[in-house]
Amino acid sequence: MISISKLLCDVGAEGDGLRYDAASETSKPQITEEKQRRPVVVWNLTKQCNLYCAHCYAAADTETADGELSTSEGKRLLDDLASYGIPVVLFSGGEPLVRDDLTELVEYAAESGIRPVLSTNGTLVTPEKARELRDAGLQYAGISVDGLRGRNDDFRGKDGAFDAALRGIRAFLDADVKTGLRYTITERNAPDLRDVVDLLYEEGVNRFCFYHLDYGGRGADISNVDLTPGEKRKAVRRLCDMTREYHDRGHDIETLLVGNYADAGFLVEYAREHEGRDAAKRVYDYLEQNGGDPTGERIADVDYQGNVHMTQFWQGYSLGNVRDRSFGDIWDDQTNPLLDRVRARDDYLTGRCAECCYRDICRGGSRLRALSAHDDPFAPDPQCYLHDDEIGIAPSFEASGD
Amino acid sequence: MVEKPQRFRVGDKPRDAVETEWEVFVRDEDDSPLRHAGGITAPSLEIAYEQATKLFAWYAVDIWLCPADGVARFSTHDLDDDAEPVRIETGGEDRSFE
Ligand code: SF4
Repeated sequence: MISISKLLCDVGAEGDGLRYDAASETSKPQITEEKQRRPVVVWNLTKQCNLYCAHCYAAADTETADGELSTSEGKRLLDDLASYGIPVVLFSGGEPLVRDDLTELVEYAAESGIRPVLSTNGTLVTPEKARELRDAGLQYAGISVDGLRGRNDDFRGKDGAFDAALRGIRAFLDADVKTGLRYTITERNAPDLRDVVDLLYEEGVNRFCFYHLDYGGRGADISNVDLTPGEKRKAVRRLCDMTREYHDRGHDIETLLVGNYADAGFLVEYAREHEGRDAAKRVYDYLEQNGGDPTGERIADVDYQGNVHMTQFWQGYSLGNVRDRSFGDIWDDQTNPLLDRVRARDDYLTGRCAECCYRDICRGGSRLRALSAHDDPFAPDPQCYLHDDEIGIAPSFEASGD
Repeated sequence: MVEKPQRFRVGDKPRDAVETEWEVFVRDEDDSPLRHAGGITAPSLEIAYEQATKLFAWYAVDIWLCPADGVARFSTHDLDDDAEPVRIETGGEDRSFE
C-alpha cells in the first residue's frame, strides 16, 4: 500500500498503513526504520457473498463452501496467528458479514492481541451490527464501492447495492468505527472516481483506498476491462492531483494505492515534476523503507478452507493448509522453492523489471499478473505503466547516500 | 529417549470448493529428494500439470501431482475439528537415540 497523501502532502494520519497492502487499517506507523517482520493476514472467512461482483478475486458465490473453517477452528487459527506474532487480521470473504460468528471472531482476535479489521461490501451492516463490531474491538472497516450508483450496482450484480453500502458506511461512522472506501479501478469505473470521493467525503469518509485489478478469481476473467498502462498512468495522476487539491483546500483526506508498485516509481517522478529533486528523494527513501510489493513477505492469506496463499489475490496456488500445519511453520518453510524465489525475486526478475532503476521500491510489481500474462512468475508485470526512459535512468539521488 | 508424538488423523474436508486441489511434489535434480511444494487448484490433472510447469519449470526435473483428497495426513497439529487421535501399538518400548 502506498499513501499518496503521506508522500505528496506529508499527511500520515493515525492508522496509516503504507507497509500493509491488505490493511490500510493498521495503527503501526506508516514509515519505520525496521522492515515488518510478520505479515498481515487476510482471512477469507467464507466463500459466500450476497453480491456477485465482476472483479471478485475470491470468486465468491451465493453458497457457502464445504469445509469452511468452523468457529472453533477459527479460534485455534487466531491462537496460532497470535503466537506467531501476526499484527493484523483482515476479515474478508466472500462477504464476512454473512457469517453469524463474525463478532465472536473479531472479539477473539482483539483479546488475543491481534488488531482486527474488516473488508466488506457494507450492504449487511446495520447500526446495531456496527456497534456490536465496535464493542468487539473492530478497528477499521474498509467498504467497497466501485463507481457511482448505476455503475456500482451493475458491477456488483445487484440493484440497490450502492445505497446499501452507503447505509453501511453511515452505520460505521455513526458507531465511531474508522471507515474507508475500497475502490477497484477498471476501465468501466475510472470516470466515476472523483465523484465518488467527493460524495463520500461529504458523508464523512476521509480515507480512500484505490486498488488496481489483480488477475486472480473473477479478476482474471475481466482482465480485458483493466485499464491500459496509459490509462492507469492517467488515473493515478488524477488521484495525485485530486489529493493535492483537497489538501490545498484544507481537507486532509488520505488516499492510498494498492496492487501495482509501478505507482511507487510514478510517485517519485510526480514529486520530482511538481516539488523538485529533494521532494523526489524523500519520496524515494520512504518507499525504499516500505519495501515494494509485499507478496509472500508482508502479506499472507488464509482462505475459507484453510489454504495459505502468498497474497489474497493468488488463490490458485497454496503453500499449505492450516489444518495440516501451523501457519508459522508453513510461512517459515524455506524448503518451498517458489516461496523462496518470490522472496528473493530481485535475483530472478527478468526483462525490464531486472533492469529497472525503481526495482528496489517496486520489486517487480505483481508476480501473479506476470504469471497470468507470460506464464512465468518472474517475467515483467504487464501493467507497469512507467516509460522506458523513466525506469532506465537511475535517480541521481539513489546512490548518493545523503 | 524421545517422547512418542501424539498424532492426529487430519479430517478429509475439501480443499477447494469448485475445482480440485492437487498436492505438488518436486525434485530439483536427479539425485535430490522429492519434496512437497504446496498445492495447485485446477479442474483437471492436465491443467494442474500445466500450472505446476509454469511455477516450477525453471528448475524441477520431476513434478508429481496428487489429488489432495487422496492423501491421508497424520500430524501432531490438531487445529482440525475432525482430527482424530491415532494410537499405534508399538510394543511398549520407548524409542531411543544415541
Ligand atoms: S519495470 Fe518492473 S520493477 Fe520497474 S517499476 Fe515497472 S513493474 Fe516495477
